Amino acid sequence: MRTRVSVVFAALVVSTFGGGSVVPSSSSVAFAAQTASAPVAVKIDNFKFGPEDVTVPVGTTVTWTNRDDIPHTVVSTTGVFKSKVLDTDEKFSFTFTKAGTYDYFCSVHPKMTGKVIVQ
Amino acid sequence: MKKHDQQGLQHNENASSHNHDHDGIDRRGFLKCMAWAGTGALCVMQGGVLKSYALGTSDAYGAKASAGELSFVQISDSHMGFNKPANTDVVGTLKAAVDKINGLKVSPEFMLHTGDISHLSKPEEFDTVDQILKSASAKDVFYVPGEHDVLNDDGKSYLERYAKQSQGAGWYSFDKKGVHFIGLVNVMNLKSGGLGSLGAEQIAWMAKDVQSLKSSTPVVVFAHIPLWTVYPEWGWGTEDSTQALALLKNFGSVTVLNGHIHQIMQKVEGNVTFHTASSTAFPQPAPGKADSPGPMKVPADQLRSVLGITEVHSVKGNHGIAVVDESLAAAVAKSESGGSNY
Repeated sequence: MRTRVSVVFAALVVSTFGGGSVVPSSSSVAFAAQTASAPVAVKIDNFKFGPEDVTVPVGTTVTWTNRDDIPHTVVSTTGVFKSKVLDTDEKFSFTFTKAGTYDYFCSVHPKMTGKVIVQ
Repeated sequence: MKKHDQQGLQHNENASSHNHDHDGIDRRGFLKCMAWAGTGALCVMQGGVLKSYALGTSDAYGAKASAGELSFVQISDSHMGFNKPANTDVVGTLKAAVDKINGLKVSPEFMLHTGDISHLSKPEEFDTVDQILKSASAKDVFYVPGEHDVLNDDGKSYLERYAKQSQGAGWYSFDKKGVHFIGLVNVMNLKSGGLGSLGAEQIAWMAKDVQSLKSSTPVVVFAHIPLWTVYPEWGWGTEDSTQALALLKNFGSVTVLNGHIHQIMQKVEGNVTFHTASSTAFPQPAPGKADSPGPMKVPADQLRSVLGITEVHSVKGNHGIAVVDESLAAAVAKSESGGSNY
């Protein structure tokens, strides 16, 4: 009985990781590794954040890249994060460790706004 | 706008035939005068009538200019450090602007720079602009910051360099030959989704500043972002400018000089003339004519015609201030274009 359960568990873990290395340890470690592995990219171009709204799981790192020919910034309206000024091709990253809705804007061109929803 | 030939410059306009609203504003005369902008003509308000003079000739106005009338230049948006396709040589075009200033028939006493001096608030960018402006005939330059000048440190490096004697975030006032100048800062503490902002502290300072002025004193207000709502979708306006302008409602002559939009726009509202200057670096699209207000690329041989400086003249006792835009294009091309920007 126990053998069959552990075989089933191992099978589940293998299928989740697409056949990669199976870690025969506690399930909490395996799931934490999966959650942190998907970075999200936001492009800044033409005085817009694209996409303007992103929804991400807790622990995600969002990276903004400025593709515009004018410098921009990424500034949280609640003081949670604030980039230095980003010239063309410069990047800013922030890892969201707490759930919530994070409104932000470009402090140089405040009509440019965006939102990160962390679930 | 119709073009006017050079003959028209010598005519006096009859005020009563243009004063349809009976409020003393000669609107048709004003519009006619504005069509001459850039041709070296000058419109001056005298006793409610707009009269035109040719600049730099040996006529009556030329004599008045040397007898202590006030002439100055507005430059704006030099964006030192910008190097993208819209202009890969902002040093060259700023130097061309200085050459234009040095070639003016009526020499300016000083200059106003309405901000975005630098592109990235870097010390070497400010240094380069300082060096280039040193060769202008007008040695005194009065600055207000643009949003590109206060990027990194809440404007500390801007303030240390250009506004040591100022209040708050860099606002100040001064007087020249009976004209009161007010430099305002509307690029600090901008709020998400908002426009330019002056803030309560600055407006309170301005109220005190103008309190004891006679209403006959001509006032020039200069700030980076337009103090009227040009195009809110692109942030081209200032949230609380009406409060500031309300402080000037009893003054006979108010001229508001702004930059930020990299194109010439003018508006007259009662006693207030609003004007935005060209950039010396790159043009931007007209409101709504592009996806975004970013740098606009034009054919290389047209670049200098969409960059420019602005001459401003005050004729003593005439209650008015005249504003004339000059592109960086050669003088030969200029007389054809007639400066019609409408």
